[in-house]
Amino acid sequence: MFSTFTFAPGTGLFQNLADLFSYGDGQFGLWALNSVLYAGLGGFLSTLVSAMAGYALAKYEFRGRSLIFYSILGGVLIPGITLAIPQYLLLSEVGLAGSYLSVLLPIIISPFGIYLSRVYAASAIPTDTVEAARIDGASEFRIFRSIALPLMVPGMVTVFMLQFVGIWNNFLLPFVMLSDQSNYPLTVGLYTLLSKGSGTPALYSLAITGAAVSIIPLIVLMLVLQRFWRLDLLSGGLKG
Amino acid sequence: MTATLTPRTPTTARSRPSRRRRGRSAPYFFLLPALVLFVLFMVVPIIYAAWLSLQTYRIEGGGILGTRVRVFTGLSNYVSALTDPDLLSGFGHLGLYAVIAVPVTLGLALLFALLLDVPAARGTRFSRTAIFIPYAVPGVVAALLWGFLYLPGTSPFSDITNALGLGSIPFLKEPGIFGSMANISIWGGVGFNMIIIFTSLRGIPADIYEAARLDGADERQIALSIKIPLVVPALVLTAIFSLIGALQLYGEPTTLKPMTSIISQTWVPLMTIYKDAFLTDDLPSAAALSVILALGTVVLSAIVLGITNRRTSGARS
Amino acid sequence: MKKNRIVALAATATVTALLVAGCSSGGGSSSPSSATGKVTLKFWSWAPGTDKLVAEWNKSHPDIQVKHTDAGGGDASSAKLLTASRAGNAPDLSAVEYTTLPSLIVAGVPVDLTKDVTAATKKNYAKGTLQQVTFDGHIYGLPQDVGPMALIYRSDILKKYDIAVPTTWDEFGAAAAKVKAADPSATLASLPPDQTGFFAGVATQAGAEWWSIKNGKWTVGIADKASLDVADFFQGLADKGYISTEPILTPAWNAEVNTDKVLSWPSALWAPGVISGVAPATVGKWTMAPLPQWKKGDSAVAYQGGSAVIVTKDSKHTKEAAEFAQWLNASKTGASNLLTISNVYPAAISGQQDATKTAPPALMPKQTDYYSTAAKISSNTIPVTWGPDYNVANTAFGDTLSKAIQDHTSWSQAFKDVQKTVVADMKKSGFKVTN
Repeated sequence: MFSTFTFAPGTGLFQNLADLFSYGDGQFGLWALNSVLYAGLGGFLSTLVSAMAGYALAKYEFRGRSLIFYSILGGVLIPGITLAIPQYLLLSEVGLAGSYLSVLLPIIISPFGIYLSRVYAASAIPTDTVEAARIDGASEFRIFRSIALPLMVPGMVTVFMLQFVGIWNNFLLPFVMLSDQSNYPLTVGLYTLLSKGSGTPALYSLAITGAAVSIIPLIVLMLVLQRFWRLDLLSGGLKG
Repeated sequence: MTATLTPRTPTTARSRPSRRRRGRSAPYFFLLPALVLFVLFMVVPIIYAAWLSLQTYRIEGGGILGTRVRVFTGLSNYVSALTDPDLLSGFGHLGLYAVIAVPVTLGLALLFALLLDVPAARGTRFSRTAIFIPYAVPGVVAALLWGFLYLPGTSPFSDITNALGLGSIPFLKEPGIFGSMANISIWGGVGFNMIIIFTSLRGIPADIYEAARLDGADERQIALSIKIPLVVPALVLTAIFSLIGALQLYGEPTTLKPMTSIISQTWVPLMTIYKDAFLTDDLPSAAALSVILALGTVVLSAIVLGITNRRTSGARS
Repeated sequence: MKKNRIVALAATATVTALLVAGCSSGGGSSSPSSATGKVTLKFWSWAPGTDKLVAEWNKSHPDIQVKHTDAGGGDASSAKLLTASRAGNAPDLSAVEYTTLPSLIVAGVPVDLTKDVTAATKKNYAKGTLQQVTFDGHIYGLPQDVGPMALIYRSDILKKYDIAVPTTWDEFGAAAAKVKAADPSATLASLPPDQTGFFAGVATQAGAEWWSIKNGKWTVGIADKASLDVADFFQGLADKGYISTEPILTPAWNAEVNTDKVLSWPSALWAPGVISGVAPATVGKWTMAPLPQWKKGDSAVAYQGGSAVIVTKDSKHTKEAAEFAQWLNASKTGASNLLTISNVYPAAISGQQDATKTAPPALMPKQTDYYSTAAKISSNTIPVTWGPDYNVANTAFGDTLSKAIQDHTSWSQAFKDVQKTVVADMKKSGFKVTN
């Protein structure tokens, strides 16, 4: 595919793929697994945290509700570039920098995910059902787990999808945080192929092939998840 | 600014939870993980960055090189950021890019959504997924691939115009660069925004159209005079998010930078922030610029919301 | 209500503490060093094959184990090292580019290795090489690879057009004109504005000193007479269309090299490896020659690129780290491995001598005198002092010169503007500057 762009002439796609997966004793495979871990686990935790927060913000009235909601929403205004270094310094203080957790923890909080969850919860969970359960003596946690959560699944799938794509493609945070090659996700690994000192040739064709390969799991995931996919939630709060 | 973003809470009066104590602490319990993480990984870093923006690095001590120490400097980082002509031209570039990218993205998203909403439309699920897939391609990879298609030496488009004797297309020169840049982000943005608008369209009760059809209106007239006015709130939402996204333009120009000398290291504000934070080791200056950018975004969003709110509320009354 | 809020806040604080405590026991990143005397050193380097070199060391040094990580090269990686160092997490050893070393010293990243460097190590480096890591008489790193400047060119095509290999820059200009005349779609070379290292190198060759230190004060010479002459010279070639100023190492440039439209690359001794990677169609058609000179008969050249290994202040095992760094870069085995496994041009003299016995790079298999020419070139290099704000100069240079080229304004004015930016930045930082 890329040889048509005269980027790696003379070497076919299959040769590139073979080179890619054998580079550095199969590091590419390890990076891919790491990406799956960061995006999968991070996306899952992020979805869960967002769903809980969104449910609370949509279905309860309490002091500070608006303040909390708009503070969190305001988080999208600060670019990640500015936050990465302070986050690194903070996690270093507690001895976490460089670990898997240093990449996982900061990505769990997602203002957009919380916003979507709130909108979805507001429209998908009937207040009457919640009230009825309460009158039957169900605990608040049980109401959330048995009534709210199942109703929110389609919305959570979307949040998971968006978070998964976001984490999969995130470069700067893992680049700043990690200092062990075996923890790298794909983005950082591919960066190290491209970015060498000025006396060392960069591995262009490997990096390009790797970048193309790294998109495939995302597309597969989208095709698989689209059956659950109800993006209605995005506009749920806008009707009327 | 927040009125339109507030999701509708149905039956506000009755949704008040039970007056028992555990009911009252429940929302805090559900919010706890989010709040803890929000404070740790956003509030604290933001406060740190804001505090850092009031400092600067100075050389102290003997020797030729001395040692760099951080000292308090007040607002001087803000002054030098705001008086830097590069920042102004950066916002200029951003403006030209946004003027193309935001309306085209929203226009195409609206068009596709309306087309998918026509009752006779077939294969909507497939089309919806196909239009959405570019969103999954990372901006950097998309920019790299588009770079091939833009560069005079490798562009198939320029091959064609060259063969016709027209010379190569100046994709990477001014003013073409703004269109080229917008094009890269439009692909990813259209699908995302289309879904928002499409689902909003699906929420409109079908009987509204029936009346119009009985009056002899065709699908185009229905789209223009009924559907579009009804999805204005969704359009406002997508506009705000697109605007925030446009202001944080960074990946595409950074990827194209090595391919053309027209993109400087301070071409857009976020590239300047990156330069300060990662190239010239001036985090305080990067922090000051980030604060300026964030405040600018708030003001701009408020203006957009203010205008649209007045319009929609005027329309309602 | 108020009470509930306090409870909620208290709960938040508790969970935070638990979270942090629980996690930090799980995934700490502190360097393990047990009481048994066994030491583990962390080492960041981007050179390919470093893992193999490290494995060889680890096999013969069971008490000093090295753990290698590729943290990338380039500017962002230097920021990563700085950030890690500020947090006290820097690896024991790291590869750094010569250009960024001064800014790292200012930030207190490397330790002074003067006392740890043995006489044998010093003897294995040319004076100019060691000077690249020496400031104020203190040695801050072990040179790993060097990039003495050289010209690689398409011998087949220059021969076809009957163009002699240029030995001076005037001849280079004349050759560029001939190439244009012979094939208007080809160019002798592209010298784009973002190649700060190239322009700094040829200016140094002309006698310029972009940074110099005298009596404890800095002098910036980006706009000194020699540099401005260099600017005028290359602007002359570019204005006449003899050379290109399009960016290099882009897909377009690579395609042009592959299709015989770019006929030379004035850069440094590492160039053959890069071209082999991006333009495999041209392998076997290149030759390396000494870089053209400003004055006929001169032979000294400057450096472009290259890197050294530093030991950071965060290392608890400076002595062991210094021992490894010297083995890797200045020992006979190490320098030879750098040549054959990492494919870089070693900084150590022994490695450069070994090179003369090995086959020439794949790009020019028939040029059997490649490495003896290389050794001759590197025996006569001009020591360069990089300033503590090289990165500021680098971005300013690329941006300012690009603008001058687009607006068709004077290159030497661009050099003067860069000078102004760099001086202002140094003064703002608190350096003593004579300009």
